[in-house]
Amino acid sequence: MSTSEEISALLVAKFGTDPEALGPDVPLHRLRLDSLALEELRLLIEDRLDVDLEDVALTSRDTLGRLIEVVHVKATA
Amino acid sequence: MSAPAALAPYRRTPLAPFAAAVTGVGLVTAAGTGARAAWHGVTEGLAPSVGPRPELDGLPCDFFYSVTDCDPRELLGVAAQRLMDRFAQLAVIAAREAVADAGLDPALWDSGRVGIVIGSAHGGLPFYDEQHATLAERGARRVSPKLAPLSVVNGAASSVSLDLGVQGPSQAVSTACSSGTVAIGTAHQMLRSGACDIVIAGGAESTCTRLLIASACSLKAVSTRREDPTAACRPFDTHRDGFVVGEGAGLLVLEHPEHARARGATVRAHVNGYGASSDAHSAVAPDPDGLGIERALRTALADAGLSPADVGHVNAHGTSTLSNDLIEATMLRRVLGESPLVTSTKAMTGHTLGAAGGIEAALTVLALQHQLVPPTVNLDAPDPQIEMDVVAKEARSASFDCAVKTSLGFGGHNAALVLTRA
Repeated sequence: MSTSEEISALLVAKFGTDPEALGPDVPLHRLRLDSLALEELRLLIEDRLDVDLEDVALTSRDTLGRLIEVVHVKATA
Repeated sequence: MSAPAALAPYRRTPLAPFAAAVTGVGLVTAAGTGARAAWHGVTEGLAPSVGPRPELDGLPCDFFYSVTDCDPRELLGVAAQRLMDRFAQLAVIAAREAVADAGLDPALWDSGRVGIVIGSAHGGLPFYDEQHATLAERGARRVSPKLAPLSVVNGAASSVSLDLGVQGPSQAVSTACSSGTVAIGTAHQMLRSGACDIVIAGGAESTCTRLLIASACSLKAVSTRREDPTAACRPFDTHRDGFVVGEGAGLLVLEHPEHARARGATVRAHVNGYGASSDAHSAVAPDPDGLGIERALRTALADAGLSPADVGHVNAHGTSTLSNDLIEATMLRRVLGESPLVTSTKAMTGHTLGAAGGIEAALTVLALQHQLVPPTVNLDAPDPQIEMDVVAKEARSASFDCAVKTSLGFGGHNAALVLTRA
């Protein structure tokens, strides 16, 4: 699975996100990802993709596309 | 120098009796989910759900009375469910039922005048326990950021507030195994004071962890009847050997009587009086003479403006431990005489700790409504030292207008409610 598919699958399975709502330009807060959920998602992505996102600074105002891009860079570094 | 004189007794003016209306009931128990199913399970004396609990393998007590007929993930949805530990999930399910039963629509009520009081002894202990294991096995960076919001004892109250949009005062009370009873008593006081028009109150608990049950085994507080777990909880029986931990939630919708009348609500029963006390005796053992729970019961009766002779039914704490049941029954005999019909519904629900008072108050409401006392189902050989009319094996029809719910908690926290027929 691609990074995008992995993150989308996590959002649907673990956060109950509507798959239809997912899109690269959607701000994370529109997906009901607040600061607590973002930190929870960080741990889940780290476990799933074996990456270290400790120094990644994202907020709920960032888009899903930005999140996927940052994780992809870390995963392929 | 002479010893200081004791303070002179202060004679307060008693408050006028206040009958809070019970307009809704919500139950999630090992005897059934939903008030109708739970009442059926309890009055028919059906065996509780004893689901497989691999986390308890090898312990002297390896069983637990579980809620198996509802799926919080399905009922609440993934997005909401992930922000609650199981005790809070069960509370939200019970609260939704209680509010619907009361005929209330959260979109239409004055949300700032609605309150919540939910008791729990251990709150989100399972998540706390799980995260402690994560810390030990995988290190600090793998610990969930949800630990605080999920493990706090007020997690049930805050989850119900979020789910139903309740914006009045919401809080948890935690007095061990009397928490649910204290919560309803607190709600009675909030309505009487005018702080709220409606209060959702009771208890919620789900603490099936190896850690907690291992500790209860060490304390010799739980039954070890592993060969027959559905018969293990046997309050007032000669061969009782401890309680059985269960999970569940029991919530009432309590309303100011004028509020209930104004909207034409159906009133199931009333909560008329509340009393609480502390033993100041032991961290775990009740006062051997039952003086603390007696004080709570007499206070509740006085608060209701009723006398011991008015009481027709007692839903007792009745944990199935050697000491509790004898001390409690002796106290009941002393205060109420031998006539009230006594039961302990824990034989079918297990001891749900902080939820127990909420579940058992809800069952007392249903007993008043149906004029039917549920049985103490595993009572095969009544303890001859117990001189009360304990309803054994089968439910008993009776005519009674007033019932009492008693609760005792570790730490000496005693509480009693007086309820009456609508």
